[in-house]
Parts: sequence; C-alpha cells; structure tokens
Amino acid sequence: MGGLDIRMREVSCRHGRVPAVSEVTLEIAAGERVALTGTNGSGKTTLVRAVLGLHRQTGGSILVGGDETRSAAEWRRRRRVCAWIPQKPAAGRFPLLGRELPASSGAPRAAAEAAGRLGVADLAARPLHTLSGGQLQRMYLARALGCVAAGAGALLADEPTAAPDFAGQEEAADVLAGLPVTLVVVTHDRALAGRCDRVLEMAAGRLREAR
Amino acid sequence: MIPPGAVTAAAPGHPLLATADVGALLELVPVQRAGLALLLAAVALPVVGVVIVGLDIMPVRFAMMHVALLGIAVGLLTGPDPALCALVACALAGAGVAPMARTPQGLSGAMGLLMSMAIAGALLLLAVSGVNASGAFALLWGSILAVGTTELVVLGALAVAVPALFLWRRRELALLLHDREPAECSGVRAGPLTLALLVLVAVAVAGAIKLTGALLVDALTLLPAPAARRLGSSLRAITLWAVAIGVTVNTAGFLLALWLDWPPGPVLVLTAGAVVLAVHLIPERRSASWRRTSAAPWGSLSH
Repeated sequence: MGGLDIRMREVSCRHGRVPAVSEVTLEIAAGERVALTGTNGSGKTTLVRAVLGLHRQTGGSILVGGDETRSAAEWRRRRRVCAWIPQKPAAGRFPLLGRELPASSGAPRAAAEAAGRLGVADLAARPLHTLSGGQLQRMYLARALGCVAAGAGALLADEPTAAPDFAGQEEAADVLAGLPVTLVVVTHDRALAGRCDRVLEMAAGRLREAR
Repeated sequence: MIPPGAVTAAAPGHPLLATADVGALLELVPVQRAGLALLLAAVALPVVGVVIVGLDIMPVRFAMMHVALLGIAVGLLTGPDPALCALVACALAGAGVAPMARTPQGLSGAMGLLMSMAIAGALLLLAVSGVNASGAFALLWGSILAVGTTELVVLGALAVAVPALFLWRRRELALLLHDREPAECSGVRAGPLTLALLVLVAVAVAGAIKLTGALLVDALTLLPAPAARRLGSSLRAITLWAVAIGVTVNTAGFLLALWLDWPPGPVLVLTAGAVVLAVHLIPERRSASWRRTSAAPWGSLSH
C-alpha cells in the first residue's frame, strides 16, 4: 500500500477567539485508512482544513510525508500531495462547467474516466451550480481520483457520503477504501467508518481513539 | 457638437427630436476618435466587468472615484501630475484590499471601507492644502468626445492586455472566480492572481473614469457583465458575451446619440441598461438549455 504518512503535533486551531481544535497529536501511517468521527462542531473539518493550510489560525506542526510547510511553494506542494473533497462542496460564485472541476485535478483524463465510472460523465457541459448536492459530491470525488492519479499520496475527504443516495454512498465508500493512498475521512457514516483501519473521535476540539 | 448644416430634420417646438446627418458627423476627427475609443473600450472594459462580477465588487466604481480624488488631492498638494497620482492611488488601493479576498464577503466590505476612508482623506487633504474641491473634482471627469491620442493608446493597451490575460490564465481565472479554496487546492496562486486582478480592475476603472467620464464606466464596464453572466455558462462564454454586448451597445448607442444629437454618456448607459433588462426578461430558454445534458462532452476541455 502506497501513500504518505501524516504526523500532527500539538495542533490547535481557533475561529477568532473561539478554540476549535485543542492540542491534537496524531500519527497516521502511510496507506492507513482513518475515520474521523464526532459531534457537529467538534473540530473535525477545521483539523482537515488545517492540514491543507486553508485554516489560518493554526498552531503546532503538521507533516505530510515528512515535509513541513513554511513557504507558499511548500503549501502548493502540500495541496498537490493531499487530495481534498470539501464538506458541502460550494456551487461557487461564478459558473464553472462540470468538466472543468475534474480537469483541475492534474490528471484530466483519469478524472474524466472516474466521472464516467461514478455516473456523472453526462454532466460535463453543465455549470456546477445546476447540479444536485449528490451529483456535485460525485464530481468532487472524480476530481480527487484524478488528483490521486496525478500523484497525490493522501486523500482528505470531508463527509464524502453525506449527499449521495444510498447506492452512491456504497459506491463512494468502496472507491475511497480501495485507493492506494493514506485516507483521512470525516464521516458520520458507520458503513464508511467500518471500512477504515482506525476510528478516531473528536469532542470539543480534542481527539481520542475510538477503535 | 453638430456642425452647421448637419441637422437634417428638426420638428419645430420639439427640439428633442431633432436629428443630425450622422455621415457628416462621422467625418469629424473628434467623433472618429470617440468612435475608436468606444470600440477599444468595448473590447477591454466589459472583460474587466466580468472580473468585477466574479469577485462581487460592484461598488468598485464608487470606491475608485473616491480613491482617485484622494490621489488628485495628493498630486495637487505635492506637485506630481494629479491624474497620474490618481492612477497610482487606485493601483495601490486595489493591491491593498487584495488580502481581504480570502473570505467571500471580505472584498465587498473592503470596498465600502475604502470608499469612506478615501473620500474623508481627500476632503481633509483638500481642506488642508486650500485647493478648491470642485476644481479637483473637475480633473476626475473625462468626456468621450474629448479623448486624445494618449487616451487612445491607453485604451488600446487595455484592449490588448485584458483579453490577453484572460486567454493566458483562463483555467486559473475560471477556478479562482468560481471558488477560491478549490482553486488553491488545484495549484492556482490565488493570492498573486487576485492581486493582479484587483490592480487591473482599479486601474481600468480609474482610467475609464478619466477617459470617458464616470457615467460611461457603468455602460462600458459594469452593465454588460451581469447580462453576459446570465447568458453564458462558463468563463469563456461569459467573457465573449460581455465583449459582444459591449461592442453592440457602444456602436448602437453612439450612432443613436449622434443621430439624435444627445449626449453620448446617458444614451450609452440607457442602451446598455435596456440590453440588461431585455436579457433578464428572456432567461428561460437559456436556463432550460443549461439543464440539458450533453452526450459526449469530455473530449474538449477548452471551454
């Protein structure tokens, strides 16, 4: 199994004055599949966004594949090696065609093929804001598969099975669990958590091993 | 504006309906320059408008007017060319608000703050320096019928640079205007690109105010973009629609203004406004076609 190891040391995140993540220390081995569960507002999404540098008020250190992030170039590398499926993908402020999202993965052909397998190939010419939540999430999954084909060694998926229908949830869970990368998945879906090697639980910004 | 003998028909008692010989007017050099300036502006400025709509910074025109006035005040107080100071002030203001673009609502709020602080700073500087405020305001207004060679060169440069940037960075721009975070995760250098866009918008808007008058900025820059946003479903399509609407509105509006001997600014704004309204009245057919799925649409990624 390939993939990159992820090491977090005393990671803390704040939203203004409100603490969201408190001194999280976590080691995820290369190729490991980890489910991050917990109540709403417990800090799961913030922690995942911190790995990508999308949450700025972050302290502590996060290494992916042993690499730190100090410069803008290092953050660009981090975002290249860590594919991301956002929670509730935004339909966006400005039209973007369906095909343009997977094409942004770095491996347009592989992402387009993934879109075909996920049943959203015929939505390529439609603007993203005209897609349903489930269709949009499949499109983001196709993009993530393109990122993996382009060389990403980790996938950070934030509630990737929240919007699709039942068949789509099963399909997405199978696809995610079968990827040859390190997987960190924020989920409330027991079936998806069951496919992971470890289940971690967050509560009030703190992390504990649940399984 | 009308030369002797150019008016061909005038209804006695109805001066508003007096019409002019457009052919004779088009032989006048200032009218030819104005027509050329409008054509060049129609290529560059609607594309800037697309960025304004994409970044959700519609108050930028008012903000830049006030920042330009601050620049003029600084110029009058310290000595350099006030018009140049206005352009530099707008460029710096555009660059200064770029960090606020990290959140979706950040830029809109920043424009309001910029507008208030710039006008306060300008009035304070004018009061301290003892310069007549109305004299400073007069430097801000241009007229399409008074454009010179320098203004034509500036518009020509904008007409080349703006579409070139869009062709060169189309993929990055499409992702950035759609949503900043996925764009950043796709390798787009969102910070520098946003900075470049805001400086371009600020300079283009400030330049357009000086070249064509503040009112025409609405017709040339702001109004084509919302109509194009409704007609197109990708950045490429929206940009092409915006330029097409700009060229159509400018040509039709300018000829109408010449024919009726009305001031070009208001006629062009009303023509552009009529086009925007017309587009908003006929959205259903286009919307329906958006929802239609395509058979094999993955082949070309060039949209």
